[in-house]
Parts: sequence; C-alpha cells; structure tokens
Amino acid sequence: MFGKFKRLWAKQPLKKSYDAVIIGGGLHGLATAFFLARNYAMTDVAVIEKRYIGYGGAGRNTAIVRANQRTQENLPLYKEGLDFWPILTKELDFNLMFYNCGNLNLAHSEAALKALRLQVTSAQFHGINSQLVDPKECKALIPALDISDRPTYPIFGGMYHPPGGIVRHDAVVWGLAKGAAKLGVHIHQQTEVTGIEVENQKIVSVDTSNGKISTPRVLNAAGGYSAAVSYHMLGIRLPISVLTIQAMVTHPLKPLLNHVVSSGAYHVYANQTLKGEIATGSHMDPWPNYTTQTSAYYIKHQAEALTKLMPCLKGVKFMRSWAGLADMTPDMAPIMDGNYPLEGYYMDCGWGYFGFKSSAVTGKYMAQFMATGECPDILKPFELRRFEHHRLMGETPAVVEYSPNN
Amino acid sequence: MSLTITCPICGKRNGYEFRYGGEDKEKRPEEDMFTSRAWCSYVHMNKSVAGTQKEWWCHKDGCGAWFAIYRDTTTNLEVSDPNEDGSKAKA
Ligand SMILES: Cc1cc2nc3c(=O)[nH]c(=O)nc-3n(C[C@H](O)[C@H](O)[C@H](O)COP(=O)(O)OP(=O)(O)OC[C@H]3O[C@@H](n4cnc5c(N)ncnc54)[C@H](O)[C@@H]3O)c2cc1C
Ligand SMILES: [Zn+2]
Repeated sequence: MFGKFKRLWAKQPLKKSYDAVIIGGGLHGLATAFFLARNYAMTDVAVIEKRYIGYGGAGRNTAIVRANQRTQENLPLYKEGLDFWPILTKELDFNLMFYNCGNLNLAHSEAALKALRLQVTSAQFHGINSQLVDPKECKALIPALDISDRPTYPIFGGMYHPPGGIVRHDAVVWGLAKGAAKLGVHIHQQTEVTGIEVENQKIVSVDTSNGKISTPRVLNAAGGYSAAVSYHMLGIRLPISVLTIQAMVTHPLKPLLNHVVSSGAYHVYANQTLKGEIATGSHMDPWPNYTTQTSAYYIKHQAEALTKLMPCLKGVKFMRSWAGLADMTPDMAPIMDGNYPLEGYYMDCGWGYFGFKSSAVTGKYMAQFMATGECPDILKPFELRRFEHHRLMGETPAVVEYSPNN
Repeated sequence: MSLTITCPICGKRNGYEFRYGGEDKEKRPEEDMFTSRAWCSYVHMNKSVAGTQKEWWCHKDGCGAWFAIYRDTTTNLEVSDPNEDGSKAKA
C-alpha cells in the first residue's frame, strides 16, 4: 500500500576512531551530534545507543514544552528552546507537529498563587508571555474545569502561558537522526558503551559492546543512566537521583481540552493529543529505582485527580500506561559541563522530567562547547561545580514536589 | 512501583510506609576538617548504582526507626548483604 520504505538513516560500520563519541541516542545526544555536523563541520562523530534511538526519555515523555520557569539562569535557555521549534521544523524539513496551545498551571491556595506571581513576573522580565488568571478565566480557557468550591482543593487561579504547548517527541528524534546522518554522523544502535579510558586526566577512548573507539572527546548524554555511567566508568559521582516517572493515555475523545493543564495540589498534568487521547502523568516513585514499572497505586490516583479537576472525564478509560527514568538534581536544573574534571569529558544530564522542551537548543550550545572547548555563556550557570559552591538555582518543580530530597 | 521493606522492629511492610533516606555514604564531615567540597560530597553526590546498593530508610508511618537495607535498584527488591552471602533475594 505504501510502496517501499527508505530508511531515514543508514547503518554504518563502527570505526576505530572518531573526533567525538556521544553516549546515548536520546534527544540531547542526537541534537548535539546534528549541530556538531551542521554548525562546526564536525562530521566524524558517533552516537552510541545501547538499545534504539528514542528508547529512553526521548520516546516516553509527555511532549510538553513551555518557557515559564522561575529563575534568571533557566528562563533564557527555555525561551530560546521554545522559540526554536518552528525554526527547527524548517531546518530539518520534518513535521515536528508543534502545537502551541498554551499551558495553564492551576493554584489551589493563596500561597500557591503567590508563588505563581513570582514565576509570572520573572518570565515577563525576560519578555516571555505569562499571566496570572482568576478562576473564571481558567474556566473560560478550559470549560471542563470544576471551579466550584466542591473539590477538596478548589481552584484559586492560575498561570497562563500562551506560547507553550506540545511537540511530537518521536518526530524530534527521527528528524534529528535523519538530519545528523545526512551530514555524515554515524548512529550505532544496539551498541552499549561499557567503559571510558583516561590517560593523564584526558579522555582517550571508549569501550563498546562492538569494540574500542579512540576519541579525544566524549559526551555523557545517557539520560537516566548518566549518573550510573559517570560513577561506574569514571568514578565521578553526580548530584543525581534516578526516579521512575509514570504517564498514561485515555482512549481518544472528541476535542475538549485545548490547553496543557497542570495542578500541583493534585499532582497531575494533562493535555489532549492531536489524536484525541488525554495524555496525563506526573507520579514519581519517592525512592530511586531503574525499574520503569507502572503501578496500580498511581493509576487510581491519576483517575481520582483528573476527575476532580474535570468531572466530565468520569467513565473514560485509560488505554496504556508506561514509565521512564528521570535523572533528578537537587535544584531542578540540569548539569552541563565540559573538560571537567577530565579533559575531553562533557556532560549534559540531570534533565529530570523536563529535558524535552529545550533539548534541541541545548544540543546547539553543547555542540559549540565541544567544538570550541569554550563554554557558551548561557550554559555557564549549569556547571557541576555550582553544588560545591552552594550556588543551587532554586528552580521550582512544574507540578510535583516528589524527589528524595524533600 | 511496589516495594516491601523490612523494618528491624515491625518486620516486612509496604514501602509507602517508609521514607527514603539516601545512599549509605561516607561519615558526615567533621567541623574542623570542613571544606565545601567535602560537604557537597556528603550532601549531594550519589553513586546512583543500577544494581545493589546500601541505603537508609525511616519507618515514618510506623515505629519511626532509622535503619539501612540493601536493595536492587533495577528490580526494587530488598536483598541480603552482598558482602556476606552474595546478592540472594531475601525470603
Ligand atoms: C514519563 C515522562 C514524561 C516526561 N514528560 C516531559 C515533558 O512533558 N516535557 C519535557 O520537557 N520533558 C519531559 N520528560 C523528560 C525528558 O523526556 C527527558 O529529560 C529527556 O528525554 C532527556 O533526554 P536525554 O537525551 O538526556 O536522555 P534520553 O532521551 O533518556 O536518552 C538517553 C539514551 O542513552 C542510552 N544509554 C544509556 N546508557 C547507555 C550506554 N551505556 N551506552 C549507550 N547508550 C546508553 C539510553 O538507551 C537512551 O536511549 C519526561 C520524561 C518521562 C520519563
Ligand atoms: Zn518500624
């Protein structure tokens, strides 16, 4: 019916040496590879992926993008990340299905509203469209919401961020892989990095399940496994806790939710996909684990929370549930660093449950870092040493307060 | 994910009764030896082992005891001390 398929990227033999080796065929690894080739003509690059590209958080996230964070360090990166989706769509010539439907974060107390006020003004200071709205305006945006005083936690107001929305996550993976491969990057799936060799405090090679690769540069973009890779292969501990985070979708419904909605008090966020399903999530296991298993405990919680916020969803069925890993740092901000503590060792990790939205733009800056050896200004606050210098960022969780740190 | 934890006082209980207390780490740095690096290491840095690790728990919705167990982070199963008799799962 569809004729012959052509592969989006070719399979190449694993070479004995590369200019740069990227651990992890996720969003961050593929984006960095693409921009190394495209902006710096560094095409002798290998992306090493132990399963298949998009196997990690890249293919499991709930696709939400926004730029209404709280801190001065994070906002510029997320703003550029959000503005970047239409540009990347053109550049990759690939339909990333960006739908800028806007995000509404609900507040269920005076204190929560006060916290949102700070977040709104911080975003506005950076020229980002973000506004406080009252319960009636929330209802106007999402008629399905119950704004009465009947729920356990009635709605006090919200933060509305019109430019945010959703992007098709798999499309980003495929588009970046196709773009990178076309420029000459090698993508090696079913290949696991098993060790990293260091001589005189310099990276010299990487061991994989398919052989050794000599290289002066390696990027740790192993997502949920980045901290384990760092400790196991280099003995470097990171301020990361790995938690399983769950998500699920209902059966497809007619259009009823045309914004991303989230609620801290109910520990839930939801959006309606272009296909009509309500995609929803947010539960994180409160203890570290690598299981990626879902739980009956949470499906029940999710059904309760969703129907409290939007009673019309009663009787709707969940079709699928799944989970992935979130590499959480204590300050809800990622770690991006390079040539520290080893020359040629770069890291782009600690992206928790929020690393999809700015993956492409981060890849652009990590590529600049790796090609020039100089850290771009926008990435400087995210260095690993901030924890030693007590310069934690104070970014706030999007909806959940879960983490082993509180 | 389901998890059971064996409290030394109350026995095997549902994991949601407990609060995770972090990886078993080096001793808390002494004040006279105090450096920001040592403190950062003690407070923030993790091994994040994908496998068996020693870790602290508090039986918050029970007797309140603090204790350490071994757990396989890839299966969420409590295991016995691997230094004693391999990583055999507890009965
Ligand atoms: C359920 C869920 C919902 C989420 N929702 C959102 C959201 O709505 N918005 C948002 O912005 N973010 C969200 N996220 C977070 C986002 O998905 C991640 O932050 C992002 O995928 C991180 O990208 P990455 O490239 O660092 O890692 P990943 O995409 O996880 O890629 C890492 C890759 O490395 C590979 N790997 C690991 N170890 C090795 C090794 N030794 N050798 C070779 N390869 C290896 C893995 O197989 C994996 O493919 C969500 C995450 C989850 C799990
Ligand atoms: Zn007890």
